[in-house]
Amino acid sequence: MKKLLNVLCAATCGGAVALTLSVSTAQAQEWPSDDVRLVVPYAPGGTTDVLSRRVADLLKEELDANIVVENRPGAGSTVATGRLARGGRDADHTILMASPGHAIGAAIYPNLTYDPVEDFVFIQNMLNIPNVMVVPADSPYDTPLEFIEAAQDQNMSFSSSGVGSSIHMSGELFKTMTGSDMTHVPFAGSGAALPALLGGDVDVSFENMPTVFSHIQSGDLKALAVTSEERSQYLPDVPTLKEIGEHGLDDFVTTAWFGLIAHESFPEEAVTTMQEALQAVMEREEFTSFVEQLGGEKGTRAGDEFKAFIASEVERWDAVAEQAGLRQE
Amino acid sequence: MENLTEVLQLFLAAENFLAIAVGVIVGVTVGSIPGLTATMAVALALPFTFSMEPVAAILLLVGIYKGGMYGGSITAILIRTPGSPASACTLLDGYPLAQQGEAKKALKMALYSSVIADFISNIALIFFAAYLAKIALNFGAPEFFWLICFSLTIIISLASGSMIKGLIAALLGILFSLVGLDSVFGSQRLTFGNYNLMDSISFIPLLIGLFAIPEIIEFYRKKVVPHLRAKASGAGVSLGELKRSLKSIVRGSLIGVCIGAIPGTGATAAAFISYSDAKRRSPNRERFGKGEVEGVAASEAGNNGVAGATMIPLLSLGIPGDVITAIILGAFMVHGLTPGPLLFQENLPLIYALFLGIMLSSLILLVVGNAAIRYFSLIADIPKSILFPIVLMFCVYGAYAVNNDTFDVWLMLGFGLLGYVFNRTGIPAAPFLIGFILGPMFEDNLRRSLLIGSNDLSIFVRGPITWFFIALTVGSILLALYRFVSSRHKAKREVSEPGSGV
Repeated sequence: MKKLLNVLCAATCGGAVALTLSVSTAQAQEWPSDDVRLVVPYAPGGTTDVLSRRVADLLKEELDANIVVENRPGAGSTVATGRLARGGRDADHTILMASPGHAIGAAIYPNLTYDPVEDFVFIQNMLNIPNVMVVPADSPYDTPLEFIEAAQDQNMSFSSSGVGSSIHMSGELFKTMTGSDMTHVPFAGSGAALPALLGGDVDVSFENMPTVFSHIQSGDLKALAVTSEERSQYLPDVPTLKEIGEHGLDDFVTTAWFGLIAHESFPEEAVTTMQEALQAVMEREEFTSFVEQLGGEKGTRAGDEFKAFIASEVERWDAVAEQAGLRQE
Repeated sequence: MENLTEVLQLFLAAENFLAIAVGVIVGVTVGSIPGLTATMAVALALPFTFSMEPVAAILLLVGIYKGGMYGGSITAILIRTPGSPASACTLLDGYPLAQQGEAKKALKMALYSSVIADFISNIALIFFAAYLAKIALNFGAPEFFWLICFSLTIIISLASGSMIKGLIAALLGILFSLVGLDSVFGSQRLTFGNYNLMDSISFIPLLIGLFAIPEIIEFYRKKVVPHLRAKASGAGVSLGELKRSLKSIVRGSLIGVCIGAIPGTGATAAAFISYSDAKRRSPNRERFGKGEVEGVAASEAGNNGVAGATMIPLLSLGIPGDVITAIILGAFMVHGLTPGPLLFQENLPLIYALFLGIMLSSLILLVVGNAAIRYFSLIADIPKSILFPIVLMFCVYGAYAVNNDTFDVWLMLGFGLLGYVFNRTGIPAAPFLIGFILGPMFEDNLRRSLLIGSNDLSIFVRGPITWFFIALTVGSILLALYRFVSSRHKAKREVSEPGSGV
């Protein structure tokens, strides 16, 4: 009987040691050693959410780890970003899909508890979508110049998906650069804003490409210009605002960018692993067709280059928010 | 003819049938758990659809949407906790019915009404999509403004009993809806510098708190167990009751279709509008809110009528009317399809295959719903001393699950206290909800109209749609006044007549 107890004891101890060993090897294992949490700072639906779920699905295979997508909406993405900036226990396994709201939020809310540039590690820019300057089909204006000239004599209205959206801020930027007389009409999301544009209730919008692309193709909306650095391959006949050159538009470039960021303590090897995995994701056929569907381009910036880009975005929107009187006190 | 074979080829795949069945089952289950909404389920299911055929992928999501819309009513009826916002209105009569031992009747009526509304909504989608989409495009801010005005007038009928108390509730609802960022200037209103309040008060914690918590407090305050075992879950719906409610169901479905076809109003508002419309017309007006099965029917018809119709702006214009359709739009995109005018030209067989699947989903909802009722109605037999602690746990979990935030749990408990005060003082909760939902729409569309029209008031009378809703609004107010005056007269006569005989 005693012998049996001894054997049991030994077996238990052995088991415990084996278990401890296996745990410690798991810890010594390469990153990721646990599930990776991908925070979407917006509610389900919308480009950020769908993109995140598409990326998570492909990334799961590349990293051979479970990717948990978590929606954490609030105050134009600043709630989730603020939480990420605070770090915490699982900061080394948490990434966040940032978008223009990251830079615009920093410009609009001055009481943020974090620095939008210094408190984060910038992993990879995944996707860039141009905004398109669109007018209703029966609008009398066919070029941006015609529109600008008219907008200097009479008040024009521009719609957006809400205060502080990239669509709104692009409109404000256009207004200040060209000195046009324009009134902002905000809606609750692009879905609600689109009928007003199609029905001619508003004069112009700087909508995201995927929202208006099929309406441009069907002739229900006229595209006057794209806001990207170069012409979009999907609308090759539509000029960039930069090309117009006049009215200070020669440096008018705005894009809706999407990319993954993490807490500043995110381990360096994890950044490298992530970047490699994301490169592989971006080369996948599924990702390419998804990007094409959105009328966007794959992001090329990573690491410090991505960080520098965000810094310039923060600076730019800061100035626009200041001029448009959007700064909250 | 060639098209027909292609449509059938696309539709008659085992994967499609499986997708709809799984979707509806998941939807009903998730919808019935407070805090777990159909929206979340659709978002979670999205990645699974990436590797599926497009038709099956969309049908899976549509199935969850429709199942969830019905599932929400189950817990609303049984434990006064709306599983989803759209079913908040269902509990007004559903819960009293369950209390009277008629849980099964309420659940069955909710199901039949949901399925009929779903069917009508699908018909509207298939045959009138193009036409309704055109109306939706003519629905600008001023038209919206008058629609909301009209909706506000018909909810006068919800303030049963004291008009003053109803107004207090509605105004409090509007007050709470003001919290958050101003929609035009982005400035903070009543947020007290709290980040959690910037996106306004979350609706689900508010709902759970307002309805479920007071019931629990009341139970423990009285410290008596009304009946250790509630009466068995009762009989189903009789044919007579269904017949009596049919008019309300059809009207509710049509209200749902119209509201669903216009992006941005939502199923919750549709349910309340349908409910108050039914109440206003019903000869059993007095019984509404006390366990009238027609009330359950009207509410569920309103919210399920929305489900098929929200696909109208999505498919024909590429415009998502609510969050769920926004996710479905994403699913289309992932499969290389862009909803909108071109989809009908380029992928007509696919659209028709989807339509067939959507029709089938209504039938499957009937089957799944019937099975669900059999098991769920057992909840009504659980002793409350066991049930209520579990409900409380779900309340806390549900409030947390919405945004993964403990702040919402406190919010839920706060609204629980408010709901309790409402109960004790006889202030009705329904007008509070209406104020909370319609208040911001009223304000936003008023301001939007003024922005679009450069402060010129003539924009409010700019076309036939505005005239139509102005006429309805004025007519509705006159009708309410007439009823008020005539009921006063009647009351006076009743008081004076016995005296005059002496």
